[in-house]
Amino acid sequence: MDTDTLAASAPDIAGTLEKTHLRLGFVALSDAAPLVAAKVLEFGHRHGLTLELSRQPSWAAVRDKLLSGELDAAHALYGLVYGVQLGIGGPRADMAVLMVLNRNGQAITLSSKLAQALDDTGNLKAALATLGRTPVFAQTFPTGTHAMWLYYWLAAQGVHPLEDIESVVIPPPRMVDALARETLDGFCAGEPWHALAEANGAGQTVTSTSEIWPGHPEKVLACQREFVTRYPNTARALVRTMLEACRWVDAPSHRKEITPWLAKADALDLPEALIAPRLVGHAGGVRFAQPPLPVAFFDGGAVNYPRVSDGRWFLAQYRRWHLLRDGDSAGENDAAIAAAINQTALYREAAALADVPVPPENRTEVFCDGATWA
Amino acid sequence: MTSTMLRILLVTDTDKPIGEMREALARLGYEMLAEAATPQALPKVVERERPDVIIIDTESPSRDTLEHLAVMNEAAPRPVLMFSHDANQQLIREAVDAGVTAYVAEGLAPERLAPILEVALARFAHEEKLRQRLAKVEGELAERKTIDRAKRLLMERGQMSEHDAYATLRKRAMDAGVRLAEIARRLVDAADSSR
Repeated sequence: MDTDTLAASAPDIAGTLEKTHLRLGFVALSDAAPLVAAKVLEFGHRHGLTLELSRQPSWAAVRDKLLSGELDAAHALYGLVYGVQLGIGGPRADMAVLMVLNRNGQAITLSSKLAQALDDTGNLKAALATLGRTPVFAQTFPTGTHAMWLYYWLAAQGVHPLEDIESVVIPPPRMVDALARETLDGFCAGEPWHALAEANGAGQTVTSTSEIWPGHPEKVLACQREFVTRYPNTARALVRTMLEACRWVDAPSHRKEITPWLAKADALDLPEALIAPRLVGHAGGVRFAQPPLPVAFFDGGAVNYPRVSDGRWFLAQYRRWHLLRDGDSAGENDAAIAAAINQTALYREAAALADVPVPPENRTEVFCDGATWA
Repeated sequence: MTSTMLRILLVTDTDKPIGEMREALARLGYEMLAEAATPQALPKVVERERPDVIIIDTESPSRDTLEHLAVMNEAAPRPVLMFSHDANQQLIREAVDAGVTAYVAEGLAPERLAPILEVALARFAHEEKLRQRLAKVEGELAERKTIDRAKRLLMERGQMSEHDAYATLRKRAMDAGVRLAEIARRLVDAADSSR
């Protein structure tokens, strides 16, 4: 690579970049918007980086390609990173969360029949009983965010996610079909799949994930920890680039501008009309009198800090649902695991360079069942 | 074959002809289970048939369904550890590069997986994929040079800072509904033809 030209044309590089061409993975979801914006507008060039986006067909593929080095970093479910760190159900590797890419913006949709039963009975447990069989709920990855939001929401209403329902993973594009054919009763996933389910008349969005945990962390910029130790200047430049992309895409007018790019065949390959409303935040599901908190990409920098307490929450949930057994990772405490994954020091350096304020370390989260977490 | 015949499930839900391995593997003496073509069907098939090895296209959207089974069900096969230091690491990497992923019952010796992966590899050449990848990287580098030239043109002509030159390119790209690289190419082409 022609590094002389790069250095001359990008005077604000902080430290020599160890690597200048980065492959970033993403999954076809509306909250991939910061990556798409970063590529379309080449936010990386100012910091000496050329980004190449690579759409992935599954979260398993994202993980494998991060581990093989085929991807340098990726748009990933918060929990996927923690699952790989712990080796839950698959390969184990030292992982890193560089920053949070978005908060909120996911949902739970029920089949039209079950949504009607919920209206009639006024409570989820009674509504599920009307099915006369074990209810089937889908999410997207066993250790992922959607599994955790779904389980938390069910448990908060007295429905045990491991005993009272069957939890399955099916790809979001198939969730809508399955809902329509009543082989599936509900699902938790990202957008625009809920918008599609409502547009097809297959189901109704009954909850926004911001109602389960307001301001919950969702997708992160993930990589192997080795990427950070081998290429620290590159990792810092990448965080700086993505912070600028998140800041840009968070503005309502820019959300609108990026929608046609998200709709393209090499991104989501879905109609703009499905993506736009919930991305812009003007409309929630048909059942919401007031739109719930929309997906947030920046919010003055409040979105992106990889707070260690968020990571600890996932570990606590893994224990709650027996994904992590007592004795697993014995001798390490959760705070140490989360502090090793979440690259807070690197983030602070990048945020300072990008002139992005870092929110306070301590924050008390309040959940739909009244529980708190700090 | 040994007396404990391995039971193999092929997942055939993509364009890649995973199903074509069926005959070759059967000839090697493996017990081939009925194929699963949809993610919805997978949980039931895995529970009922208890395969020792599942072969699936690396790019299959059904892979997350298998990941969930691996976590929730002790008896379900696990994704292969591609980076463990065993003798077959290279073979497994090649299979993954060729687009094949395996999920394997816990405790299955790597040498028992090797012949299955060899059949998979024989089916799926991956030179074409590598060629496409190289072409893409070269394209990215060319785009980058064009954007740098367009930026310098703006800086020289408009007496603007680098930051403003970028902002101008971004604004023009969004207004025209094209990528930044495309706007830069048009600007550079126009400059070249007026020279």
